[in-house]
Amino acid sequence: MTRAPAVEAHGLALGYGGEPALEGVDFEAAPGAALCVLGPNGGGKTTLFRALLGELQPLAGRVRVAGRPAYLAQTERTRLDFPVSALDVALMGSLADGRWWRPPGRSQRHAALAALGRVGLEGQASVRFGELSGGQRQRVLLARALTQDAAVLLLDEPFAGVDPASAERITAVFTELRAEGRTLLVSTHDVESARLFDLVLCLNRRQVAFGTPAQRLGREVLETTYGSDIVVLEGSGDTAVRAITVQHHEH
Amino acid sequence: MPTLATVRLGENDSRYAPGVDPGTVPSPLDLLDLPLTRTALAELTLLAICGGLLGAFVVLRGLAFFAHAVGTATFPAVVVADATGFSATLAGLSAAAAYACGVERAGRSVRDPGDSATGLLLVAALGGGILLASDVFESGAAVDRLLFGTAIGLNGADLALSGAAAALALAATILFGRTWAAVGFDSDAAGALGLPVRRADVLLLGSVALAAVAALPAVGALLVSSLFVVPAAVARLFARDVPALLLGSVAIAACLAVLGLYLSLWLDVPPGPAVAVLGAAAYGMCALLTGLRASTRTPAAGTSW
Repeated sequence: MTRAPAVEAHGLALGYGGEPALEGVDFEAAPGAALCVLGPNGGGKTTLFRALLGELQPLAGRVRVAGRPAYLAQTERTRLDFPVSALDVALMGSLADGRWWRPPGRSQRHAALAALGRVGLEGQASVRFGELSGGQRQRVLLARALTQDAAVLLLDEPFAGVDPASAERITAVFTELRAEGRTLLVSTHDVESARLFDLVLCLNRRQVAFGTPAQRLGREVLETTYGSDIVVLEGSGDTAVRAITVQHHEH
Repeated sequence: MPTLATVRLGENDSRYAPGVDPGTVPSPLDLLDLPLTRTALAELTLLAICGGLLGAFVVLRGLAFFAHAVGTATFPAVVVADATGFSATLAGLSAAAAYACGVERAGRSVRDPGDSATGLLLVAALGGGILLASDVFESGAAVDRLLFGTAIGLNGADLALSGAAAALALAATILFGRTWAAVGFDSDAAGALGLPVRRADVLLLGSVALAAVAALPAVGALLVSSLFVVPAAVARLFARDVPALLLGSVAIAACLAVLGLYLSLWLDVPPGPAVAVLGAAAYGMCALLTGLRASTRTPAAGTSW
């Protein structure tokens, strides 16, 4: 018997009024799967996440997520001067239970402390968020997502600006989460890290490809996904291609 | 014991707080001696609770300019009300609510309610109010009371409105405090957590607007931020978490309110400017202290990896 997918989208088109920002999206991810959402800046990764979070209604098609997903935004969206400790931030995850008007209880504090322990920061629970390193801050935000205890986690560029030790810890937590049957959707523009996932979804304003990295991450798919932003380093066929992306930041 | 008496500062001046003879230092107990000063003390204490709690979130959300502007936006309306005998509270509430709705409706992030638009509104509200008071209604003598507040003439209705604003601020802080903090920290993630971000924003803007109107009689339209921004900004220099910020902000607001009223009694000036000057001095000293403390410490270990 096959289990129902934890995340699925069929014939999905998304936009903010006017032309769709993303269309033709069709994929499924089973519980425990790790799916990499690959694409350039502006390719539709964040738009897809907004639809999975229920913040953006589809223009066409449908999308379904098992429960309310946890969301790990990029760290630069947080306020470093905010008077909160690592534990305070981890505790914010417990607000997702729908009872946001109640003060945090003992069980919620235990869950938040346990989440900090899982990301290796139990000793930094009382340290101010802004005083932690970039990698530690990312781990605290991951702890907030863990406190939420969601079946599906959406992670937006979780390795951007993260030191190797933190990246190793985050990767270890991802492995544990998958073993627990949780589904991970991780957005990245890094082609090489995408090869480590079970599934890859390539987006560039439309779905370019969906499948396993071995099947899909060939020269043609990468060039369609990234256009002029890709530099193919070696390999001539559709397999064993190594490539790096060149990001053109607008700011 | 000094005799409390109304001191004339100028030709027509008998509208400020009841003071003491010039050159005489009043006893702090004088604040409790007269019904007028007792009412003023109660009013400022209620406003300190309200301003301290809401001010903490105003500062955390970057709404200081909004809190300042919402008070000033009421000025033309209260000038008209004062001259025509209409309820100043209702006029102020209408103007504050209209301004808060405008900010909310503009669809802007509450973190950035449009500094240029706010600046223009401040100029227009002040200029319009002065013109109305001096040329249209010829009630110029009331302008400084409307802009800077007064400790006399406060009545039960003023106390009731401030009490209601303080109760609302307390209830909203208990119910929405975690949400306001989570939204201020990271609004994208707060929405993803399923928090009622929009409702919380509307409630914060509305509560600040109501509280600003409640503060008008005592501290005036121009100096509302002396109770709604300054105490929290001082507490923010020291507080390491949100509860400490809330407690510190209320405590500092209460100290500024009592000391400001005492100063107003002593120097026979309106309480608004006294609270504002004390607040600015407190902020300056504390900023200097924290700056000195930071410069003598080594940089935080976690600033880079």
